[in-house]
Amino acid sequence: MRQPAMPIPSPFQSSIAKPGQGKVVLSLLPPNNPTLTTLTYKYPLKLVPRTGGFVPAPDSSALSDTRPSNPVHLYLLTYGGGLLPGDQIEVSITLEPRTRMVVTTPQGSTKIFKTNPNNTGTAPNVIKGHRDQMPANDHISDMSQQTLDVKIGRQAALCYLPDPSVPFKHSRYAQVQTFTVDATAKGNDRSSVCVLDWVTQGRTSRGEDWNFQFWRGRNEVWAEDDKGNRRLLLRDSVILDDESNDLDAGSISDEIELEEDAKGEAENKIQDANTAFVRPADLPPQTPAGLTPLNIIAERTRPHGVVGTLILSGPVFEALGSFMLNQFQSQPRIGSRNWSDHAPSVPEPSISNKGDVTWTAARVRAGFVLVKFGAKDFETAKHWLGGLIREEGSVIHEFGEEALCCL
Amino acid sequence: MLIKDTQDLEAEVTLLESRLQDARAQLAASEYPSPPSSWAVKGRQICSFAYSSGLESYLAHNKPSRTSPISSFHRFLKLSIASIASTSLPYVLAGYRHPSTLDTLDNDLDASTPCIVAQRASIAQGRALIGVWERAFRASFAGNPVSEDAETAATAIDDLSDALKSCLEEDEDLGPKGHFAPLWGVVCRAMGLDLQQTAYVFVMNHAKAVLSAAVRAGVMGPYQAQNVLASQELQDTIMRRIGREWNTPVEEAGQVVPALDLWVGRHELLYSRIFNS
Repeated sequence: MRQPAMPIPSPFQSSIAKPGQGKVVLSLLPPNNPTLTTLTYKYPLKLVPRTGGFVPAPDSSALSDTRPSNPVHLYLLTYGGGLLPGDQIEVSITLEPRTRMVVTTPQGSTKIFKTNPNNTGTAPNVIKGHRDQMPANDHISDMSQQTLDVKIGRQAALCYLPDPSVPFKHSRYAQVQTFTVDATAKGNDRSSVCVLDWVTQGRTSRGEDWNFQFWRGRNEVWAEDDKGNRRLLLRDSVILDDESNDLDAGSISDEIELEEDAKGEAENKIQDANTAFVRPADLPPQTPAGLTPLNIIAERTRPHGVVGTLILSGPVFEALGSFMLNQFQSQPRIGSRNWSDHAPSVPEPSISNKGDVTWTAARVRAGFVLVKFGAKDFETAKHWLGGLIREEGSVIHEFGEEALCCL
Repeated sequence: MLIKDTQDLEAEVTLLESRLQDARAQLAASEYPSPPSSWAVKGRQICSFAYSSGLESYLAHNKPSRTSPISSFHRFLKLSIASIASTSLPYVLAGYRHPSTLDTLDNDLDASTPCIVAQRASIAQGRALIGVWERAFRASFAGNPVSEDAETAATAIDDLSDALKSCLEEDEDLGPKGHFAPLWGVVCRAMGLDLQQTAYVFVMNHAKAVLSAAVRAGVMGPYQAQNVLASQELQDTIMRRIGREWNTPVEEAGQVVPALDLWVGRHELLYSRIFNS
């Protein structure tokens, strides 16, 4: 792949092998001075750190006898503000013990541009009806991929509240985010993680409504001990697949070899493609005919325009986790007789009770709090989640307002 | 295709259930006969009336104003089958193919279950399956294994069972759980079923549980439910989902119906409810 000309040779250049890779190590130098001992990245990825933006109050953490270190803010950027087909972003971050990091995406949503139609329709040997064929075959070259691998040492904390991913029509994207915590740390020495992962229906201004081909978001938290033994603590995985690989490959290539100027026509064709699911002739040979499957992504996300997950773990986010659980449990009961439109309106006790966000919170194993939500659009979800996190206050107290810049 | 006709299948399940009855009677008399298929086990243990797999919450969240309750239910059934196939079926297949990894599969499925109630249901079913294995089938299958793989599978079940019994209360949070899906795969392996049957019965019985819940929730009558259960459409849906997930590694198992997690999670917010989930 052609590499861009670099005006100033970076001393770190040689350590980065491939485009789109980045590596960050945050260490705590004595006495209490967070320092990025490694910071490398390569086009189309860009990592911009900012230190000293926020200094937590001395008493801000009652959990630790020592003062928490100042959070370092890392901006995650890509040239053009999104990912093109074939782009592979690989970011590796190490937070050494007692460090804190805020990661945000200042460019707004992560745009997933559409997959080049020439590569998609002609891919050979696609076994119809098998999900794993998509990442496993030649399609991998035209799928945008992002991996984030964060190691979080004892007493260290990561606050990662990015903008949602916005997959454009026909796009294909897979993201794997792995967070590794210190298995030997107990109690208040544990690593803390706050991760938000959300995806929208696309560009609503252009009429997109879950029209992408494939989006997968996987978030894993692993515990690793000193000997390198790893154990999976939590896995959250969402797969949104239009299952178009189940269709005859020919109908797919016809459908997506259309440019933007033929958009109206394209949408008609997509309708055709969707109705084609019911045509017995298009079904995989191993599946008997006569089926009307609910294959479109919109059917599986209905009535939401954005879905997402918030993962909270560790002492720093304990208060927020408990707050979310309480808010969830105090929502009005569904089907209660007082809960109707013409009932006398009572003052909203909290933002969490507003009806336009459907959400759930649960304390799953290892103390994790898992919040899942669906909302009619991005603004609603952003307002709801930002409102709750601000109302609780501990994230701003520990990391500063800039941790919430995407909300 | 292995299973040609659902009616045949239904008849076979009934037959096998009666054979299980016979087997149990004979077991009591210490004369254990040739092994009955484990399909009957599933029929007995899993058709629980306590869990609706999110159906009750779905109905509360989707008031049938425009669509009829029946078509709304059919939507749910398809979503639910797609979801169980994408989240749990890879663990069934992996349990069958690699029985010795049962403890890891158990841990990983526990880590991947986002909802406490779903987790509890899966564990209750899994432990019931271990119970039936130990009391009814172990004696004939583990002592006289069908193959070397079946022996490995039997050992894996015993190891998990021992781990469950010796597990202390305090480290229960991350200890062995006994989730149903991987155990189902391993038990079927130990009993010499083929993989297609193992997968089909797993998904079929999920559908059966959802239909039982629909009858109990008053969505449809019992004969109507039987009609759906025996329909070609249901069989096709199941085969299609199995086909899709046949080669999905457990690392790539995941939720294809995000809305379902929300309905299941919000079940506890229902003002009145007749199911545990």
